[in-house]
Amino acid sequence: MKLRKGEVKVITGNAAAAYGAMLCRPDVVASYPITPQSEVVEQLSRFHADGILDAEMVEVEGENSAMNIVAATTLAGGRAFTATSSAGLAFMFDAFLMTAGYRAPVVMVNVNRELTSIFSVSGGQQDIMTVRNAGWVQISVENCQEILDSIIMAFRLAEDIEIQLPVMVCYDGFYVSFLAEAVEIPAREDVDQFLAPLKLQPERTKLDPERPLGCGTHGILRGFMELRYKHCAALERAKRKLDEIDQEFGKFFGRSYGGQIEEYRTKDAEIVVLTTGSAMGTARTVVDAKRAEGMKVGLIKLRMLRPFPRERLTQALKGKKAVGVIDRSVCFGWNCGPMYMELRALCPDIGFVPMMSFIDGLANMDISIPHIERAINDVYAASQGKPYQEVTWIPLEE
Amino acid sequence: MVIIREFTKYEAGWSDADELLLCLDTGSWRTQRPVVDKEKCNYCGLCALYCPPQCMVNMKDYFTPNLDFCKGCGICAKECPRGAITMVAEGEFANEVAKR
Repeated sequence: MKLRKGEVKVITGNAAAAYGAMLCRPDVVASYPITPQSEVVEQLSRFHADGILDAEMVEVEGENSAMNIVAATTLAGGRAFTATSSAGLAFMFDAFLMTAGYRAPVVMVNVNRELTSIFSVSGGQQDIMTVRNAGWVQISVENCQEILDSIIMAFRLAEDIEIQLPVMVCYDGFYVSFLAEAVEIPAREDVDQFLAPLKLQPERTKLDPERPLGCGTHGILRGFMELRYKHCAALERAKRKLDEIDQEFGKFFGRSYGGQIEEYRTKDAEIVVLTTGSAMGTARTVVDAKRAEGMKVGLIKLRMLRPFPRERLTQALKGKKAVGVIDRSVCFGWNCGPMYMELRALCPDIGFVPMMSFIDGLANMDISIPHIERAINDVYAASQGKPYQEVTWIPLEE
Repeated sequence: MVIIREFTKYEAGWSDADELLLCLDTGSWRTQRPVVDKEKCNYCGLCALYCPPQCMVNMKDYFTPNLDFCKGCGICAKECPRGAITMVAEGEFANEVAKR
């Protein structure tokens, strides 16, 4: 492996997404613009106009068509990319479900945004949390470099013969989509080499005029159950596969992200806070400050929202005295955050310790340093046996 | 857990017309079945064109439904220009050897 040093450019999260997709040489790109994702489509069109991206660009009348086109592309054996956000994701929902059922290895970027209603063109993670039972793999990332790298890894994961699942790379709209950071853009040849193992695998089933097959045709009773079982089994396999791909990526490009989860100062921690997405950077700063004060606090970044990293989380959280979860969305009907609700399901494995849900950052409210500090202080107090409030909507108590 | 008897070798819902279809048990939905009068049938093929599950079998001088897939919708009987197809309640065939 004689790796070339990639070119470093200051680009936005959206541009990083476009670079990531372009480097993977998709055969088809079909995407409809929506705030805060539009720049991804614009940038990809620019690459195409400049001759850097040799893909078929399909101008679609909406997200539903976009998803149907990219799913069909992958069923025909091609590589496809699309991007959306919020209402766009909602508008493609039936096609989005079909794609998962087809086991079509589409890679899609979702630029996280609040869902309506209340109408709000603003940041939040309600869109990705709402679709978390659709059968897709969902990877939540933090910064511009991670967006680019994760898209490359997403193609390796989606198209792996043992996986064959659509993968969604999610990053926070407004916070990361429009944030410009220094990003190392890997050389094309190196990305080709990283994706090359896919070519050595057996060919996946595809649409072929010589041997006509139907996909997603009517299925009921046992055949349906069997395919659902296989789908769930593939999601289970995707967990370890992501860890492996992440490690390989690290050896290849010198950057790795922990796979399913990233643990930050958790080893000797007594309490742990879990969050995902753009809030991670701020959270690390607060954890460092608390550590400097002598508080044994750790931080976990949930990277894989689906499938849920049960085993890795259990391993990381076992024996901790209290756990707090900061969600940027709500779980309707549970009156808490969705990641918190799911983490609670691990109680029998990690032990029944105080667990606390913090809801923050809806509709562009900043998950600020004081907010995270408050969450950590509350979790610490709970770990000391003090009475605690299970769910806190942080900005509403300021 | 392991699947004891695999229904399909495919990972997704792929189906091959030459092999086992995914799970089209439409024959079990039927409450009445088309009965073709071979004398009236002039082999025009409209019933086969209109049949939703495409189960009319070409017998070379007339058509007859494949009852494994015929769901008893009656479209063939409605469309037949010669009135050669009659829908008959399944109860009439209760004493026959079970044909789904």
